Amino acid sequence: MTAAHRVVTPFLILSSLLLIVLGKADMLMFENVRVVASDALAPILSAAARPADALANGIQHVRGLLDLYEENQRLREENSNLLQWEQVARQVARENGELRKLAHFDPKDASFAIAAAVIANSGGAFARNILVDVGTEQGVARGTAGVTGEGLVGRVAEVGKRTARILLLTDLNSRIPVMVESTHEHAVMAGDNSDQPRLLYLSANSAIKAGDRIVTEGADGVFPPGLPVGTVASLGGDAIRVEPFAELARLDYVRLVDFGLAGVLPPNAVPVAKSDKDPKAVASIRGR
Amino acid sequence: MRTGLVQEGVALRFVPMASTFLFAILSMVPLHVPGLAVATPAFVLMAVYHWTIYRPDLLPASGVFCVGLFLDLLNGTPYVGVSSLMLLTARIAVLASRRHLADRPFPLIWAGMLAVAAAAACCEWMLTSLLTGVALGSRPFLSQAVLSAASFPVVTYFLAQIQRAVLPRD
Repeated sequence: MTAAHRVVTPFLILSSLLLIVLGKADMLMFENVRVVASDALAPILSAAARPADALANGIQHVRGLLDLYEENQRLREENSNLLQWEQVARQVARENGELRKLAHFDPKDASFAIAAAVIANSGGAFARNILVDVGTEQGVARGTAGVTGEGLVGRVAEVGKRTARILLLTDLNSRIPVMVESTHEHAVMAGDNSDQPRLLYLSANSAIKAGDRIVTEGADGVFPPGLPVGTVASLGGDAIRVEPFAELARLDYVRLVDFGLAGVLPPNAVPVAKSDKDPKAVASIRGR
Repeated sequence: MRTGLVQEGVALRFVPMASTFLFAILSMVPLHVPGLAVATPAFVLMAVYHWTIYRPDLLPASGVFCVGLFLDLLNGTPYVGVSSLMLLTARIAVLASRRHLADRPFPLIWAGMLAVAAAAACCEWMLTSLLTGVALGSRPFLSQAVLSAASFPVVTYFLAQIQRAVLPRD
């Protein structure tokens, strides 16, 4: 081992420490590098995600075959349930339309929606985010909400040309204004890298109970009020915890929806690039 | 040693580096397995452990540093450098005890991996908690260490096959 070799490792360790300190001092310092790296690696990550997808689908398929009968039974029940709900929804939609007409209501909800495939998720134990295969080229902007059929997933924290990173609800840095659907009590849902985020700043005499539905509050101007988030899972112990509706551990596709609200976003926001470059991808979700 | 390197050819000498970078990408692949997204095995740590025992000359400290940065950038963590620091420390520890690990029975090597994974998880947890200013739940870190130790035999078998196929013994 030469003298040069002997100084390399300490030098590199010092460099790592320096980078950590710099990152701590300025959280956004590495953002551009990260965005460029994700963009550059998008094709590789996309390709790597495909066989994994196929494998997961295969496993799912075999599992599906095993309990086909029960699944069928369950779906039949669910279907009859849903048919009832459809009637209710139709009625409410009609009523809503009439009331809106009466009130000259100007709807400000979703102006933009696009489906995106998940190409990577943070494997480490200290971050909860996913990378999806759409970016500014498809009109995605920072702050865009990520949702699945079940509910909110998170929101776009960084966006490159072809990729966007969605900060999941469970991430340590995620803070979302929410409310208890039944009582309209306000709170902030904060991630802590565990599977179930905590509810903060709920009033001391709150009537919250396990199983209550939690929805977005809308005060941040990023999400519209009433977007489903999760249910209260536990009240005891150190905190009130929420089980998200969306299965964050097995996301294949998410829907990126811009609700057209000029919300409060962190400083240094990426220039908004709402465009109709790809009219096929851009679809109004109003009326769906 | 010298003739060995000449015989190997330049391209093959990059195999340890390339496989470690490949593992970094592998650890990002969404596996859609419930529970696994909470903690993916530390594939890169395993690769660094393997190559540091068998061919430390082909995975130098600078390579370990770079793969750590690469991992942090892909992971989207605000603290770039944490993985580099953790991997470099692991490399130093493994180099120091290399005499007791190389060419020893597999259970011993496995136990070494368990110790390294546990120490790395511990360090990572402490460092991240310190940086974020809150004591994080230790469960994701512990599950990552357990998953890493559990999947190590498969990973090291795979790497040993590559090693045997393309790199002559030094």
